[in-house]
Amino acid sequence: MGDAIVGVVANPQSGRDIRRLVAHASVFPTAEKASMIQRMLTALGAVGVHRVLLGTDLGGISAAVFRAVGRRRARGPDTRWPEVEFLDGQPIRQTAQDTVDAVGRMVTAGARVIVCLGGDGTARVTAAAVGDVPMLALSTGTNNVFPAVREATTAGLAAGLVAVGAVPPDRATARAKLLEVRAGGRAETALVDVAVSTERHVAARALWEPATLTQLFCAFAEPDAIGLSSILGQLSPVGRRDPHGVTARLVPGAPRQVLAAIAPGVVVPVGVSEVEPMVPGAVHEVEARAGVIAVDGERELTFEPGERPDVRLRSDGPRCVDVAAVLAASARLGLLRADDGLHYRGGST
Amino acid sequence: MTDTIERRALSRERLLSAYRMMRTIREFEERVHREFATGEIPGFVHLYAGEEASAVGVCINLDERDTIASTHRGHGHCIAKGVDLGEMMAEIYGRRTGSCHGKGGSMHIADLSKGMLGANGIVGGGPPLICGTALAAKIKGTGGVSVAFFGDGGSNQGTTLESMNLACVWNLPAIFVAENNGYAESTASTWSVAADNIADRAAGFGMPGVVVDGFDFFATCEAASEAIARARDGGGPTLIEMKFTRYYGHFEGDQQTYRADEVEQARAELDCLKRFAARVTETGELGRADLDAVDADVATMIDKAVDEAKAAPLPGEADLLTDVYVRY
Repeated sequence: MGDAIVGVVANPQSGRDIRRLVAHASVFPTAEKASMIQRMLTALGAVGVHRVLLGTDLGGISAAVFRAVGRRRARGPDTRWPEVEFLDGQPIRQTAQDTVDAVGRMVTAGARVIVCLGGDGTARVTAAAVGDVPMLALSTGTNNVFPAVREATTAGLAAGLVAVGAVPPDRATARAKLLEVRAGGRAETALVDVAVSTERHVAARALWEPATLTQLFCAFAEPDAIGLSSILGQLSPVGRRDPHGVTARLVPGAPRQVLAAIAPGVVVPVGVSEVEPMVPGAVHEVEARAGVIAVDGERELTFEPGERPDVRLRSDGPRCVDVAAVLAASARLGLLRADDGLHYRGGST
Repeated sequence: MTDTIERRALSRERLLSAYRMMRTIREFEERVHREFATGEIPGFVHLYAGEEASAVGVCINLDERDTIASTHRGHGHCIAKGVDLGEMMAEIYGRRTGSCHGKGGSMHIADLSKGMLGANGIVGGGPPLICGTALAAKIKGTGGVSVAFFGDGGSNQGTTLESMNLACVWNLPAIFVAENNGYAESTASTWSVAADNIADRAAGFGMPGVVVDGFDFFATCEAASEAIARARDGGGPTLIEMKFTRYYGHFEGDQQTYRADEVEQARAELDCLKRFAARVTETGELGRADLDAVDADVATMIDKAVDEAKAAPLPGEADLLTDVYVRY
């Protein structure tokens, strides 16, 4: 059945944008991202993952892991960490394309799970490149609706148990929804929300001015979310597993106002009108003549008069590892019982 | 919030002004590059071409209350803060009509009347200066802010880090703009900057630190606008890291054996002027004819500045004893 391979990609730029300035958003240091990967390597090795493919970057994350691997090797044969293969040899552009390239190489190399460290933006880029390989998004970014804020060690255990085939896929993963935006000849996807803004330029990417927002589309909208989906999360919640999504027009003076945490550190009233469900496949037109479309909280697409963008909900998003479900299944199956030696220690399936 | 939207709005006039400033810097630097090769310009020059969106994105949000401190790569900052082009060019040529009477050259162009505290041959020399002017603005209650531009090399200097600490301790209206063009002379910032992102260091001082695409005027302008408004409002300092590439060597004559084809790629795909022009003509905010008119006007201004500089007198012996601290 081949090697149990896990791919890991970390965005060196996540947690650096203008929301540090306008919204007191958190800073996620490079050293912590590297430490998370090291903690994950311990967990992956403990459940029998042989190889980890790690994306490379110029931000210092892969370099720190490289040094850590070297230090462990220098102390003698290391049977606890998987073999770490650094996906170097390709130009590093310091753009989202680096994530796309790394994930593509992991898929080609036969990775059984791909873990991404970043914010919603990183998860979105990873999701578009993983194909049918299960992904696990861990938060090291700003708006963290899609990626889980979770300890990397337990996430690593879950990713490892899926990669070695210990937990059946139907118990391990759930398919996410996604939103597809088309504007002119361009297309983008979002995992959480699509927002239309009257801002003219992509500029510093983040959105934090509710008065510029005219329409919002959510694949899911949880009451406890951070980011734009929290607006509808408090008015018309939709779960990740629900088949539908939700959309609304945003009007500053609307009678219905909701106090929403639209960005870390930004809690503001937002006027909402015409809340409607989104059913998969149905095409929703963007009403504004010109402006910017934000995917998962970041301005990404500009559109001009005549382009008439539209948005639709799709049911064929990425397969996502459900960490809680995997570890619950593991408990039922006794996979991590250590009294007679771990079943998956160092083995392949 | 509405105030914020109004503050950030880029009217046709502001967009034209931004384009004119960026085009002026580019033409100025391209011309100095050519003129330097003839051997007529004394001393060293360090060219700012490629980095225009940083100086302009920041300075377009400043006014006469505000001060900036620059670096050895200072022509762009001078132009963006309104220093006279003719006086700048004359200074670079070492002429008596220069902004420092021909005694400073490229690395010391200053014009206090414009709030330009000076280009600075000392790496990391600018940040301490702006702590002083920011403190003065705070005490006098002028509402002024002070901006220090420095490079990735300057970000490693003790003076820069001490200034960030002081600015945070005193909650000064100070903005630190790290212009990370990838190399401190020939040393790669990916090797020499331990924090990987210079902006990450802000957290250690308790101020916001953001990374901005330094090739994108709209991004630099938006980040600077927010940081400056925050500083004016008593919110304190911000560190903004602009990431980009310089189009020429560290200095004119640098063989640049430490880098390969990144400049060609940046000029083709990332250039701030190309991106700006493409964007504003796409939205219809400005027409191609508007931009062409600016280009023609700027070319004429640069020709005039060079011609006048070459024709201007050099300082004479009597000038040796003027502009000095000690009266002889």
